[in-house]
Formats: sequence, structure tokens, C-alpha cells
Amino acid sequence: MFSRNARGLLDFLMAALCLWAAYHHTPAGALVRRASAWAFNSRSTARPLLAYYDGESSSGPTTSSLVPTVPVLRPISEAGALAYGTYLALKGLQPKAQTPTLALATELGLPSEALLDEAQGPVAARKLLEALEADFPNEDARLTAVFAGRIPARYALERVLAEGGSPTLERLAKQLPPGFEDAKVAANQALALTTVFGLGWPVPESTRIASPFGYRIHPTLGTRKLHTGVDLSVPQGTEVKGVEEGVVRRASEDAVNGKVLIIDHGRGVTTAYCHNSELLVKVGQRVERGELIAYSGNTGRSTGPHLHYQLALSSQPVDPLRFRAGPRTMASGARP
Amino acid sequence: MTLRPPPPPAQPSGPLSGVSRFIGGFRWAFMPVGLLALIAVGVHAAADTLDERLLSLVDAVDSAFDRLVGASTLTEGLVDLITLEQRTLIARALALAWELSVDLVLALPALGYRESKRTEEEPWRKYLQQDTRPTWRMLFARFLRKPTTLRWTRPLATAAVVVAGACAVARLIQGTVYLSGRNLLGEGAADVTARGLALGALVGILATLGWRAVLRNLQDADTASEELVRNRWQAFSFGLVGSALAVPLALAAALDAAPVFSFLR
Repeated sequence: MFSRNARGLLDFLMAALCLWAAYHHTPAGALVRRASAWAFNSRSTARPLLAYYDGESSSGPTTSSLVPTVPVLRPISEAGALAYGTYLALKGLQPKAQTPTLALATELGLPSEALLDEAQGPVAARKLLEALEADFPNEDARLTAVFAGRIPARYALERVLAEGGSPTLERLAKQLPPGFEDAKVAANQALALTTVFGLGWPVPESTRIASPFGYRIHPTLGTRKLHTGVDLSVPQGTEVKGVEEGVVRRASEDAVNGKVLIIDHGRGVTTAYCHNSELLVKVGQRVERGELIAYSGNTGRSTGPHLHYQLALSSQPVDPLRFRAGPRTMASGARP
Repeated sequence: MTLRPPPPPAQPSGPLSGVSRFIGGFRWAFMPVGLLALIAVGVHAAADTLDERLLSLVDAVDSAFDRLVGASTLTEGLVDLITLEQRTLIARALALAWELSVDLVLALPALGYRESKRTEEEPWRKYLQQDTRPTWRMLFARFLRKPTTLRWTRPLATAAVVVAGACAVARLIQGTVYLSGRNLLGEGAADVTARGLALGALVGILATLGWRAVLRNLQDADTASEELVRNRWQAFSFGLVGSALAVPLALAAALDAAPVFSFLR
């Protein structure tokens, strides 16, 4: 049925192209790369198999490890959040992967060394982002330009527009050929951090913290356990509001979390709200920032009315207070 | 009827034809591998669009599990068994397992790809031996007249993933050529070259490997159907699991991972 004809060269070229793409862009190719690295006792450049389905990479730090060690001092504007996220993601990169960003800064007449400086870094990142805003009004495209360079970002943007649809970071990253992995991861991390810095608060700002994030002796179990969120001391029936727009991923009830909501804000950021008395939204529903989503309560494993608010960055719980400016009222004796 | 063999067709001459004929001698090695790689790329392009949906599914299963174990004080500790991080890992592991399973179902038959020599023998030989392998016309006729799950789903699913695979390869070529050739060729020339090569690769892959991958899967499904399907129930149930795995990925490939016309814009 398949006749052998003289198109040997063309068929070979096409087969070789497919093999090249499979080698670089499929988990099966990663398996082959790892096997050959093992066989030749060399270092494999293949990402972990599961990383083929996300924006993270094993070569650099995880997004949650980039969280600032101290809370921010004053409220951050939207542009400031983007700049601070960019600075943190850039600092987390290997020196070689920082080169395109530093070169871009120099090209735009900005002092590149300031980008990595702890004090001046966020300000320098902001200037860099402002310089790119005219060419890349879209945040995702602008971050691609910061970490991959202007030309690759413009190319990716044109390709996404040709395909139709919005230029999200995920779609932009798909257009870039091998060699831009670190840039894609850094842009992803910057965007996730930006989103987190911009989050609102689910209950009135003045609400005191009954129990902060961190290891503690569990009040009902009596064992040392990581408290993966913050307990906000609110009376039963307090309005709980969405901290940012997103899609409800979970709206359920169980004996531990009580009536629980999980909202996916995209960019690897999710928030959870536990122990509510009533849930007002359903799975799959889109919610807006500030929208009433539940009434707080005392359901599940709880010793009194409160809201357990949890923030996860790339699926790892992080302290939401690290991203909040201003003093927090702690309940007397509150400890992690 | 003459028993004299027909004159051999005129062979193109020149160095390129020579190289082409030489490389063509290794088709038995690179064609099956090329088909396998094309399907693997297409399957991955499709699987990559499904991980978020799988995460929603894992969340739904986990919340049902939490509700179940949370009903008793003895088992309520299991509510915390799977964290958000683990749910995400499970969803990605499921996407990986799904992708590799569909690779087995759709890509593995490609390794059985064989080519026959062009019939340039004496005409009288056809009376001595019969080639029993079905032609594509016969396969297509059986596809329509003797439908089985296998005959219908495998080639159609393969068609969807090879288009997605060809688009993924074309996209890679365009990006690589444009971004690496820009300094050498200049902005305009690099853009034109990259677009031309991407479009050429898209058409070339579909014309050389794409249809062969589809036909090879139809051939494989036809052979299995002819040998193992004896009644209507078997026609429906045989290969159902593999098809149930392949069809959603094929739909994802067709809907989300095959921007064919973007290469013309």
C-alpha cells in the first residue's frame, strides 16, 4: 500500500523535523534525553516529566521560595506590584539567564546593575517596565519582553494574534522555541507574584489575626502541624469577599474544613476560604474582586467562629501577610 | 499480451537525486520513527491543553472523597490526606499517563509501517503470486461498510493529532528560524524565510508523513478488526478503552492545538 518512491530526501527531512520536535517538546523525548544522558554520563537538559504541563522548572527556585522574607512596608500600586514581582523573579534567576534582561536595560539606557540591587531593584524594574509599556501594553507580553527580550516577545505576540485569542503568558510562551525556558519560568513567576501583591482581603482590613501562618500546636489535635493559612477572627455571618477575580474551583463541605471555597485566580494563584456557614457561589462560577462569596461561620474542625484564609502560589501555601502592607492586629497570644 | 517487461521509468539524474535515492534506502528506519515522532508531538500538543481540566476533575473527586471520609470521626483525618500541591501533581501525572497511553495506542502502530516495492516486474508474475495486503481503497470500503470502533476512531483520532503535530513542528521552525536568522538575514528576510519554511514544513509533513500515519493506523485497525471482530458487540467493544482515551485528546487536538490557518496570516 505504501509505495517506495524517490522522495527519500524530503521524507527524511520531514521525519527529522518531527524527531527534533518530539525530542525537545514531549515527555517521551525527555525520557530519551534522560536515558541518553545517563548512558553517556552527561548532564541532561530535559525538564522533569511533570514540568511539561506547567510553567515551573527544576533548574531555578520555585515561585513560593521567592516570597519576600518580610512583609512589604507600604501598600503597593498595580504598577509597583508588577515591578516588585519582576525584581523578585529576576533575582531568582541564574546569572546567565539574567543576561537578556540586563542587556535590555542597558539598551534602554537604564543602569542594569540597579535591577539586582535590593534597595533600587523594584524602582529600576518599574522604569524598565514603563519603558516597554508603549510597545507592549499587555502585562503578559511586557513580562515576556523583560525576560526573553523585545524581539522574541514581539514575535510571540504576533504569532498569538495570528492564531486568534488573548495573548496570555502561557500562549506567548508556547510560541518561543527551545532556549527560552528560563525566561518563560521567570515571566510566569513574576506574573504570579504580581497577582499576589495585588490581592485584596476577604474580610474588613481591621480584622484581627487569631492565628498566623506557620507551624503550631494544633488547637484540636494537639500535634505540631503547619498552619497553612491565617485565621481571621470574625463573628458568624460576616461577609466573605473574593480577593481577586477568578473561577470557583471547589465549593464543598467536609468535617475538617467545613464549608470551603477554593478560587483559582489564574497565573498559579489560588485562595481558599474555610469554616464558612454558607457558600454563595458554585463550582465553575466566575467571581469578581470584592464579590460576596460566602458568610463566615464555625463549620468543620473549628474551635470558634473564624475564617481560615489560605493563599497558595504554584500550589504551595504561602503566608498571605507577607504580601500585605501595614500593621496587622494580632489576637493576644496569637502564634503560629 | 506481451511477456516482455516494460521499459524502466526514466530515473532523474543529478547529485540531489543520487543523495535522495541513497537516503531513500534507509526509509525502513526513518519513516516509522518519523511517524512515531509526529504522532507523539501531536498527542503532547493536545495533552498540554487538558491539564487544567484534569485538575478540576481531581478537585471534584477529592471534594467527594472528603465529604465521604468526613462523615465519620474515625476517618475524618483523611480529609487532609491530599493537599492542593498533591492534587496538582496528581492532575499532571494523570495528563502524563494519559499522553503516554495515547502514544501507545496511536503512535506504536507506526513502528509497523512497511513499504512495498514499486511493481516493475514482468506482468506474468501477477499470475504467480497474489499480494494479499489490502489497498487503501479496500481499507476505505471496509471502513464504510464494516464499521468498528477501532476502524472509525483510530484513523480519525490520528488525523487530528497529526495536524496538531504538524502545527507544533511548523511553529517551532518559524520561531527558531526567525529568532536565530534575524541577525544574519535581517528583519524582513528572516520573517519571510521563517514563514515560508513553517508553511513548507506544515504542508510537507502532512504530505509526506501525515497521510501515512493516518493510513497506517487504519491498516492496523483494519487488520485487528478482520482478525478479532466476529459480531456487532465485538465491533463496538473491541478497542473501546484505547479509543475512549484517544478520542478526547483528538478533540482537544482539533479544537485547541491545530491553528493551521495562523501560518497563512
